[in-house]
Amino acid sequence: MSLTKTYDELSEYAFKRSKKAYSEPSVFDADCDIIEYMLSYCEISADEQNRFFINVGTEKLPRAVINERKTRFTDPDEDDVLRYGTEAHAFNGETDYSHTSAEWESVLSLGIYGLRERAAEYEKRETDPAKKHFYARIKGVYSAALAFMLRAADCADENNKPEMAKGLRALSRRAPETLFEAFQTVFVYYFLQHKFDGTYLRTLGRLDSLLYPFYAKEDPAFARALVADFFREAERLKAPANMPFAIGGSDERGDCIINDLSYLFIDEYAKADTVRVKMHFLYAGEKHDGLLKAALDAVRRGRNAIVFMSDKKIRQSLEKLGIDPSDAAYYHVVGCYECGGRGEIPCSCTTHVCIPKAVEYALTGGVDMLTGKQIGLPRVGEITTFDGFLREYERQLVHICRCGMRKTDLWERHNKDIHSAPFLSGTYLSAMEKGEDLYCGHSAKYPDSSLNAIGLGTAADSLAAIRKLVFEDGELTLSELTDILKNNWEGHEALRLRVKNKFPKYGINDDKTDALAKRTVALLAETVSRRPNAKGGVYRLGALSITLRWEYGDHCAASADGRRSGEPLSQNTSASFGADREGVTAHFLSAAKIDASDTPNGAIIDIDLHSSAVQGENGLRAMASSLIAFFKMGGFCVHYNVLDADVLRDARAHPEKYPNLQVRLCGWNVRFSTLTDRAKEEFISRAEAR
Amino acid sequence: MYGVISDVKRMEIHDGDGLRTTVFFKGCPLKCLWCHNPESISFEPQTARFKQKCIGCGTCRGENTEETAKNCPADALVFYGRRVDTESLVSELMQDAPFFRESGGGVTLSGGECLAQPDFAVSVARALFEKGISVDIDTCGFVPRESFERILPFTDVFLYDIKAVDPAVHAACTGRDNSLILDNLRFLSKAGAKIEIRYPLAKGFNDGECEKIGALLKDMPGVRKIKVLRCHSYAASRYEALGMPCPLPDSKTGRPDVERAVSALRSYGLPAVNGMDGD
Repeated sequence: MSLTKTYDELSEYAFKRSKKAYSEPSVFDADCDIIEYMLSYCEISADEQNRFFINVGTEKLPRAVINERKTRFTDPDEDDVLRYGTEAHAFNGETDYSHTSAEWESVLSLGIYGLRERAAEYEKRETDPAKKHFYARIKGVYSAALAFMLRAADCADENNKPEMAKGLRALSRRAPETLFEAFQTVFVYYFLQHKFDGTYLRTLGRLDSLLYPFYAKEDPAFARALVADFFREAERLKAPANMPFAIGGSDERGDCIINDLSYLFIDEYAKADTVRVKMHFLYAGEKHDGLLKAALDAVRRGRNAIVFMSDKKIRQSLEKLGIDPSDAAYYHVVGCYECGGRGEIPCSCTTHVCIPKAVEYALTGGVDMLTGKQIGLPRVGEITTFDGFLREYERQLVHICRCGMRKTDLWERHNKDIHSAPFLSGTYLSAMEKGEDLYCGHSAKYPDSSLNAIGLGTAADSLAAIRKLVFEDGELTLSELTDILKNNWEGHEALRLRVKNKFPKYGINDDKTDALAKRTVALLAETVSRRPNAKGGVYRLGALSITLRWEYGDHCAASADGRRSGEPLSQNTSASFGADREGVTAHFLSAAKIDASDTPNGAIIDIDLHSSAVQGENGLRAMASSLIAFFKMGGFCVHYNVLDADVLRDARAHPEKYPNLQVRLCGWNVRFSTLTDRAKEEFISRAEAR
Repeated sequence: MYGVISDVKRMEIHDGDGLRTTVFFKGCPLKCLWCHNPESISFEPQTARFKQKCIGCGTCRGENTEETAKNCPADALVFYGRRVDTESLVSELMQDAPFFRESGGGVTLSGGECLAQPDFAVSVARALFEKGISVDIDTCGFVPRESFERILPFTDVFLYDIKAVDPAVHAACTGRDNSLILDNLRFLSKAGAKIEIRYPLAKGFNDGECEKIGALLKDMPGVRKIKVLRCHSYAASRYEALGMPCPLPDSKTGRPDVERAVSALRSYGLPAVNGMDGD
């Protein structure tokens, strides 16, 4: 007789239980019940290849529950400006129950068992009934997790996996002691949070420092095999937007963290056939130079899912935000590039703003060219100078940022009725101290929200073009240019190409144009950073677009930089593709002018290199030293594509010949063969430009 | 001091140590069959018309001038032959100083033949030297001895082309005799210069020179590397755009040919490398 229930049966219970919470005070209680029910009854399967843990198919259910709860709230869409602005993709504001890191130090030092014991201790000591109840429920879900692990151990035995079964049984009664058990704990915890809690876990932590105590006791050859198996199994998690882990970083005094395991991770990562496992390399200084070269060598061999980040700049940006230096030191990267301090839930993707829309609204008096709706501010007075235009642009930009944050605030006020995170809360010291859930009770030490500004390069180039065309050369009036853009450059192809190919651009180290990008980020920081949110925390800024540059570009009219309506916007903090005419060093010099200590959510430069530009020992030296020079100038984050147009064209025509060819789409990697035709075309033209 | 250049290329890794910016001087005394930089052969300013890029907008009215190239919206008309003064060129080159420092790189004067504009080359090299920037000289060697004497104090490494030792082979491939080139090489070696030899290999034209080059360079002081470069025909479209007849031989030189040359040179105890691998 089977005690398990099908997905539909689990779902039926979850929705029924969730709906009961609508008349009761607590979504948190409902979630704990649902989690315990799922853990008790979900079907378990053992992937033949898995070494560390079993598999379950539950992750869609908590997300479906969240989405169902969200439908009860309509107020963020009732305000016309917010609705029109969202439809036009000028901005958006939402909740973010993704982009988290566990407090991995607690998870690995205490284990699942120890986290339950810790909750029990809190419960025993507590006198306040509400808090006591919270601890009891945390203890409850972790108890259910221990029972689930024993059920998983039985499943492992049935599938002839004694090593897995033995580890799980040991971990059901104590903390991990061996490297195998430590890896197993990482996987078990990932499942608990990601697939039961429904709060997406977006980093497996700084694995070289976290796991070193376990590694030090292990036979090196055995450890190496474990690391290789770890990568294979992490790949099979099929995590959305890839599964990151980090290496490097620095301790509180700023000294580089580096050990044998750091090298082992790079070494095995370079060999692993993975697409979905990505690495954050936290570069903290000279002691990391050798490790950096090894990582860049992997990148130029096609293992390019490695993001290179400046540890120093990350810490600075977090401290500037108001995070304690000791918490800033032990930050985690909770997504593609976004960094959160220890104790912070950064909600790094709550708000998005399309910067080029502010340029558009400065031209039109706030009317969206594609939707015809009034979204920006009506123009006041006449614009006769470029300074006047710039001020108008900035007024519009501040306005759409405020709209985006207002919408986020409206959503985040409803958090307590939408989502809780019992497993994640159980790892957070601040949540345990306060006796409240991280989402329902906003109990993080830093319960923050974020605004990501999309299309910086497109906006800076557009402003530069307006300055030249209208105010310097007097070739067109503002209203003539506005009409040309409204008509998507029709009948003006020569002008469009001249602007695109000949005008100054952000990314060629032209001070005058770079100043426009720099000034934009400074204004965004002034508007966004440290602005209180609805949760008792503050807003943080990112100059990142990820792949939203396609979606937001689809909804953005022609821009003055020569971009046609519907074409993608510039990516992240990078120059528009093709605008970086002077190459990588000029691109770095332009980007370094932006104050990245204002962007804890990331200021990311995407670098395309031709394979011939990274050849040999000198090619590796050039890669490493240009990156280090960029970090010394104040750069935040870089990732690479090493492209060869001939190879990409051949791969488009004969995908079967290149089953493993990967490209870095944005914050994550994909196999080239799985890209849309449009994206393939863009990669080929980017490669041709090199 | 003014000079004429055809291009400036940044983040170059194949023209000397570290990360470098290469300045292509316009004009060359040799006429190599395999020249990959046809826009740098003539000392006169030139325009190139890349027909496949032309959108037929008529902005240029069919005129090939510096001005019409500057205004060509589609980048179909390109001007080669920018006249530039030392000061502004040096300040342009200094942009990448942080990267030179970090990588042990610098500036490489190339071409064309940079020493065919000796006053300008020396003035640029001196100005960079005084700012602590490494300068490499990429040269075909076919210039008066005096030019080498003048540039020597400001030069880090000479990237020195040896295309053939046999005068008849050299003349057939480049249109010039090579005794001046070989004399200048011996001079540099005696003067204590650091030298990296470039041997452009075109199968069926100068691949028979390998042993002679080995014998020439064996025991020559200062030669720290010999890079064998594969001749290819990637520049054919530029010849067409420039309206120049394309002399590029269809030599089909491949990796095995380069590797054979490298190992032949190594058998002379020489530090030969395959230019196709980037080192």
